[in-house]
Amino acid sequence: MTTSPSGAQREARLLRAFVEMADTLVDDYDVIDLMHQLVDHCVDLLDAHGAGLMLIDQRGGLRLFAWSTEQIRQLELIQIQQDEGPCVDCVHSGEPVLITDLRAAVDRWPRFTAEALRAGFASVHAIPLRLRRDTIGALNLFGLRPVPLPADHVRVARALADTATIGILQERAIHRGEVLTEQLQTALNNRIAVEQAKGIVSYAMNLDVDDAFRALRAYSRNNNIRLSEIANQLVTGHLRPDAVLASSPPPSDGG
Amino acid sequence: MSDPGDINELVERVRAALFAIVRDHHDELDAVKQLCEASTELLPIDGASISISLGPQLRNTLHASDAVGNRIESLQFSLGEGPCFESFEFRRPVLVPDLANFTTREWPVFATELARMRIGAIFAFPMQRGAIRIGVVDFYRVRPGWLSPGELAAALEVVEIATLLLLNAQSGTTTALYRPTRRLDHEQVHQATGVLIAAFDMSAEEALARLRAYAFANDQLVDDVARDIMARRLSPQDLVDEP
Repeated sequence: MTTSPSGAQREARLLRAFVEMADTLVDDYDVIDLMHQLVDHCVDLLDAHGAGLMLIDQRGGLRLFAWSTEQIRQLELIQIQQDEGPCVDCVHSGEPVLITDLRAAVDRWPRFTAEALRAGFASVHAIPLRLRRDTIGALNLFGLRPVPLPADHVRVARALADTATIGILQERAIHRGEVLTEQLQTALNNRIAVEQAKGIVSYAMNLDVDDAFRALRAYSRNNNIRLSEIANQLVTGHLRPDAVLASSPPPSDGG
Repeated sequence: MSDPGDINELVERVRAALFAIVRDHHDELDAVKQLCEASTELLPIDGASISISLGPQLRNTLHASDAVGNRIESLQFSLGEGPCFESFEFRRPVLVPDLANFTTREWPVFATELARMRIGAIFAFPMQRGAIRIGVVDFYRVRPGWLSPGELAAALEVVEIATLLLLNAQSGTTTALYRPTRRLDHEQVHQATGVLIAAFDMSAEEALARLRAYAFANDQLVDDVARDIMARRLSPQDLVDEP
């Protein structure tokens, strides 16, 4: 984001994003697709250069669930593998971790900070995904300048994180831990099926995995079939990869 | 939510116990059976049973830790319904901590049978890798109640290691189990599985088995083989030419 939009423009975009997600939530939506929409909105609305979303795996670890760019994916994976970083601390504490200037965090998270600074990032803001007492993950915003996240941006980020939580758990009124586990574990496994499907489409259509993902999402939208359903069909041989090719517009326009 | 430190500690303890079993049993299926037995000691449950699939259907019970577990499985198989079938079909955990206050459209007959057996809770966890379905682990307990976060983490660890063992049994490998799996992301393994499916029109099970067998034969990590395939440093053809 090179130019900052005016207040009115931002307001309008904010409204559009929430309307779009609310529309998705009342429909038969796919969690993985929704989370990718969500990280894209974060980039757009919060002047972030990139955004990622992590979920707990309920075995003491974290899994990356959505990311806006390959660079963000790498930085999120470093945190998971090294078990350090603002996003890891955010999930463990259940509180936002707002790092305005990463240069001051070198001692706290040496490996992550070194990589993030090398990649040109200056700030990281991690917002927890919470449902009552449970923290199920974190939404992470990466910025290029060492500036604090304005208070209204924090509010928007929290609202987006809440939307993500509700979207992932697919039920606002989860009072029972076992339902949370059913939803979360299913979402994590569907994420794997989508990776398998990306591999199929990328090989069959000779695309890189990001373009393969775009083709899958486009096919999902055009045919109104959930992404994870398409993935399962592709992997089990019930859907041929050329069907995805035939019905998808050529990728690379960022769609 | 309890302190993640506690969860890690408990998971480490459970994992150490399970790895000891794996070390002492060279046959994967034997190890899975022992794991099933051990889970009744490691978790606050009264019994466990494991059923496995061949292709798109749940085929048979590999092991049950006791007579009740056996009955739970055989009833489900004879009725063709139950939490384990639901879990397999919908690829998701089916968790019922309080059977007495539970109604289900998915398995009404089995629910009635269970009520007679004085079982308080039943938890069915699918063993799967994305679209690859391996089977289901059923845990039951006489007293109703859900698991604490630490107990849940331990239960998921049992399911994960059983899944890995059965994947090993499919591919004739043993390496992947002996390195920490908790914090690693395996997305390229899943993508490379997809590549092999598309390249050779093989099943996902076979594709993953091929990937793991190649890594094992070449003394490499599956993640590294997968990364090479996705970076096009290694051709899918190289994996099938291997004897």
